[in-house]
Amino acid sequence: MARSRNHEQWTAKPSLASDEYVDSRIYSDQEIFDEEQEKIFKKAWIPVCHESEMPKAYDFRTTTVAAEPIVITRGKDMKVRAFLNVCPHRGNMIERRPSGSFLEGTPSGNPKHMTCMFHAWQFDMKGRCVYISRQEEGYQDRLQKQQVGLRELKCEVYFGGFIWVSLNDDIDMTVADWAAGSLECLQPSLDEEPLEVFHYHKAIIPCNYKLWHDTNCEFYHDYLHYHNRITGFNDAYFARKNMGFDNGHINVGSFEVNYDNYEGAHSRETISFPHLPANHWYMIDMFPGVNFNLRGSSLRCDMMTPLGPDSVMIEFRGLGLKSDDAKTRKSRIDHHNSIWGPFGRNLHEDLLAVTGQGAAMNASAEKRQILHGRHENETIHDENGMRHFYEEWGRWMDRLPSNPDKPFKENSSAVRAV
Amino acid sequence: MSGVDTANAVRDSIYRACLYKDDMAWEKWLELCDDDYYYAITAYSPEISNDMTYLSGSREDMSTMMNMLPKHNSDHSPLKRHCSVYTVDVDEKAGTATAVSSVLVYQTQLDGINCHVDAGESKVFIVGKYHDKFRVSGDGVKFIERIVKIDTRRLDKGTHYPI
Ligand code: FES
Ligand SMILES: [Fe+2]
Repeated sequence: MARSRNHEQWTAKPSLASDEYVDSRIYSDQEIFDEEQEKIFKKAWIPVCHESEMPKAYDFRTTTVAAEPIVITRGKDMKVRAFLNVCPHRGNMIERRPSGSFLEGTPSGNPKHMTCMFHAWQFDMKGRCVYISRQEEGYQDRLQKQQVGLRELKCEVYFGGFIWVSLNDDIDMTVADWAAGSLECLQPSLDEEPLEVFHYHKAIIPCNYKLWHDTNCEFYHDYLHYHNRITGFNDAYFARKNMGFDNGHINVGSFEVNYDNYEGAHSRETISFPHLPANHWYMIDMFPGVNFNLRGSSLRCDMMTPLGPDSVMIEFRGLGLKSDDAKTRKSRIDHHNSIWGPFGRNLHEDLLAVTGQGAAMNASAEKRQILHGRHENETIHDENGMRHFYEEWGRWMDRLPSNPDKPFKENSSAVRAV
Repeated sequence: MSGVDTANAVRDSIYRACLYKDDMAWEKWLELCDDDYYYAITAYSPEISNDMTYLSGSREDMSTMMNMLPKHNSDHSPLKRHCSVYTVDVDEKAGTATAVSSVLVYQTQLDGINCHVDAGESKVFIVGKYHDKFRVSGDGVKFIERIVKIDTRRLDKGTHYPI
């Protein structure tokens, strides 16, 4: 009896164009991962938290981008600034808590300052060094405080109050430029009034970060979710457009979700976000790994921190309007949790699927081709979103996603297989 | 019931609820609860400096959710609870009782990752406390509220099962 496919057939080029599949090595190779950190995560704009997490002067948040520890502060002038969370003296991490206020002093230092506990050097909210313990005795006049400020990073508050940083001093665009129009579909809804984060949890998943981004970019996996099939599948749903924007971003156009079809779910009509038609649902996926997802009444945002070729931390946030009364907020939270909470219907299923992908590929595994070659007029089950992402990825990495040992070729999508 | 009997009945109900949930006998678990039962899983996040609710619902909501499970793709790795009832306070006049218990939930891998390698491995999944309220009557005690306050906020794949 003939076998299904032998090694040669399994690893042969698929009968699809070279932009319609990728080599699984891009999800498992350490060298490619290290290169992504340098070429992409240290170069792009990355959102790290939301301003409602640090509403008052002297509030702070800590985070990491490309394994660099970062502290975000809000100054007396209410301006949000970002710095490497690294002491210029002997490189200790300055602030160890996830969030808090510098209004109170720490055991080694004074109120209103960031203090490195190790030898008590102190910095103000603008990152300037304002105190070196026994400075004259030790450094005489050889080292001045002005010379040992913190490394400041590019930082902007943009799009409903999200805080974005870039490790790239030379980035020659604002976050608005970087978004290249991809955020516009939700901008009126998010910028009308202040938002507030009501949900946070995190997952460390044994898979490559791009597998999570892919899942957020493709809706063909509705087959994974009973909830989506029962509330979504109709003509308007299948007409939803997947649109690509410059810099590798995409968004998915809206339609009206029939929540009543899922037993126990409720319409979100009365508490939809401002300017959003009732029960509508927009999704934005930004390069290299951010997702904004507005299902009528609650906004979800996924921020990814790649930890290794086969490990990613995903931080999940849920947001409502700061002006919510208690009842409205509870409804938003219930809506959010029913699908997206850690005990919700869909998120668990999504995370199981990417865990399965991660478990089935490793750096020395027989080559897999990961297909995303569906063409359906750029509508919901088309896989053009992933193709758009990988074209950008190839450009930044100068690697061909379908054969990462080869340099990227512009317009590789034009090269159709026979 | 005397105060001592009520306290014993409260403890008994908490432990029985654990066993039923361990066995995924969801209907039996809900039979320990009154009609106006309210269940919630909450946590405090030092990241966003806010109290959060991760799941909440009535007895009916819980029952609907559990009945939907066969239609969903779930991690079937069993969750088992280790619980110690710390305090029981009976308010005889009001006909109510409250209890605080510590709970650890262990997950034993089955089909969550790569079963050939991982199946059989047990790990702590969630650490938290049960804050329970009971209605006390001649027939015994019934849960009217359970707030599961969890410390764990790194929940990885999460779960479709209540804690
Ligand atoms: S390492 Fe920070 S003060 Fe010395
Ligand atoms: Fe999904």
